[in-house]
This record gives sequence, C-alpha cells and structure tokens, in this order.
Amino acid sequence: MPDEEPSLLRQLARLSTIGVTLVAATAIGLAIGYGLDRWLGTSPWLTLTFTLFGIAAGFINLFRDLGLIGRGQ
Amino acid sequence: MPSETVESRSGGKGIWILLGILTVVNLAVGLLFAPHQVELEHPPIVQLPNFLAFLGVPGEWMPPYLTFTWLVMGILVVMGVLGTRALRPVPGPLQNFVEVVIEGFGGLLDQMIGRQGRQFLPFIGTTGLFILTSNLLGNIPGFQPPTANLNTNVALALTVFIYYNYSGIRKHGLLNYLKHFCGPVLWLAPLMFPIEFIAHLARPVSLSIRLFGNMFGEEAVITILLALVWLVMPYFIWLGIMLPLSLFTAAVQTFIFIMLSMVYIAGAVEEGHGEEHH
Repeated sequence: MPDEEPSLLRQLARLSTIGVTLVAATAIGLAIGYGLDRWLGTSPWLTLTFTLFGIAAGFINLFRDLGLIGRGQ
Repeated sequence: MPSETVESRSGGKGIWILLGILTVVNLAVGLLFAPHQVELEHPPIVQLPNFLAFLGVPGEWMPPYLTFTWLVMGILVVMGVLGTRALRPVPGPLQNFVEVVIEGFGGLLDQMIGRQGRQFLPFIGTTGLFILTSNLLGNIPGFQPPTANLNTNVALALTVFIYYNYSGIRKHGLLNYLKHFCGPVLWLAPLMFPIEFIAHLARPVSLSIRLFGNMFGEEAVITILLALVWLVMPYFIWLGIMLPLSLFTAAVQTFIFIMLSMVYIAGAVEEGHGEEHH
C-alpha cells in the first residue's frame, strides 16, 4: 500500500479515468439490458433495470476512485 | 532615460507588427493560390502488399495498423536482443538503457502492488513499451501509430482484463475470487453482483477508448493541419505546438494505461479481504 503523497502525474492519471468510466459503465448496463430484453422478450423492464445497475456501478467506481469508499464496500 | 524607454517599447511592439504583416501576407497569398480540394486521406509511406488474403484479410494492401504493429514488434525485439547480448558487470550504453527501463517499471510495480509486484514485470513492461513505441511512431511523417486504431487498443485492453482476472483466480481460487464481487454483506449479493460485474466490464472499455481517442484525435488534427499545405503557418503550428504536445501525450497515455493495469492487478491480487482503507 503506497503511503507517500502520489506524484502529480499519478494523480492526473487517476483523475482522468473517472469520467470515461462513468459513461462506459452506464453504456454497458444499457447494452446488457437491451440484449437481454431482445433475447427474453421482456421489454422494457430489463433494459431499465440494467441501466440503473450500470449507473450504480458507474457511481460506485466513481466513489472508489475518489477514495471516498474503501475496497470491499 | 526617456529615449531608452521609447526605444525598448517600440522594439517590443515591432515584433508583433512584423508578425501581423506576415500573417496577412501569408493568408492573402494562400487564398490566391488555394487548390480547390483539400486531400485529407493519405496512405502511409510504407505499405506491404496483402500476403494474408487467404486468411480473409480484405483489400489489396495490408491494413496500415497491422504493418506498423509488426514494425513496433521488430523494434522491440531488436532492442531486447541487442541490449542483452553480451552482458557485462559494468554495462555498455544499450545495456544501461535496458536496465534503466526495467528498474523503472520494477519500481512502479513495487509501489503499486507491493511485495509480489515483480512477477508481473514481463506483462506490464511489454505492454508499456509497446504502447510507448506505437504512440511515438506516429510523430514520424508518413507513419501511423497502430494505437490510433480501435482494434489494437481493444486487443490490449482485453488482454489486461483477462490477465488480471486470471491472476486473481490463480491466487485466490475461483470461489474466493467471485466472493470479492459480492460486497460487504452477504444478503446484498444479488444486488451487488451485477453492479460489480458491470463495473469490471467498464474497465477495458474505458482503457481502450481513452487510448484510441487520444491517439486518433492527435493524428486527425495533424492531418488537417498539414493538409493546408499552401499556407506556411501550419508547419510552424505543427513543429511548435503539435509535435511537443504529441510527444508529451504519448508518454502520459502510456503511463495512464500501465498505471491503471497495475491498479486492476493489485485489486485482484491483494490479500486480506476485510481491509477498508487504501
């Protein structure tokens, strides 16, 4: 576990990943929901549910990257 | 004293007046002699004929990202072979350079992953050197970086994804590793499992798109700048602004990619399931 203050480059690298991950997680949730809906035919409920899961996953990643939440939570 | 200040003031303003006149003359000459159509699509300088057509590769020429991937592989292999050929205790220049590179990656790994970091040195080092060489290759006129194409980046990101999951499964066992996905309390598992699954899937997507966007965007801007060939100004913009910026973002994007790979590997491999602060 690194204890020292991370360098500027490292902080830049960690911060640059937050935005893309939020969007990517939402998009993946939407894609999974849409695919499952087409396969099982239960539209639009699965699409909505998995989109919400995707948004939640994006926010969980966001909080983890900002250091507001530790690892196993 | 008043004459000195008047001279220095007019000397400072003279440069800007000269630049303004040059720009106006440049634009006038350029607009007078402008071609009617700007050519934006240039094939790269080196192109191999398509000798793998029987495997299903389309077109008459090898796709440029494939050619330049082979070029990058050739550069890395040659550098590796030449650097480790006659190992001496007091190293020569090439061996010194290779040792500096390896120690740099090793130091990063020790910082990120801790005690067991060194076993991931081949993977992280190869990925980092491949991405760095590919990004820097795009600055040579006529060469396209293979990382400016989505195929290369998705391949790299999928490899990282499979590798860190494999490392986690190999260290913890399959059941234990999947337990990491279930969150803190056991009855929340049906809710947490899809969320963790989607969060893990978002990682290779974001890795590949970030690298692709940076490299392709730079290449597109430079192409448009240099297509304005009849104006002389774009060459100075290229040399003065875009070229240093391109070298800088090549290094930064490499660093971001391998740092995130190390964070993912560290997250999969770390022991002690209950610790809560990092």
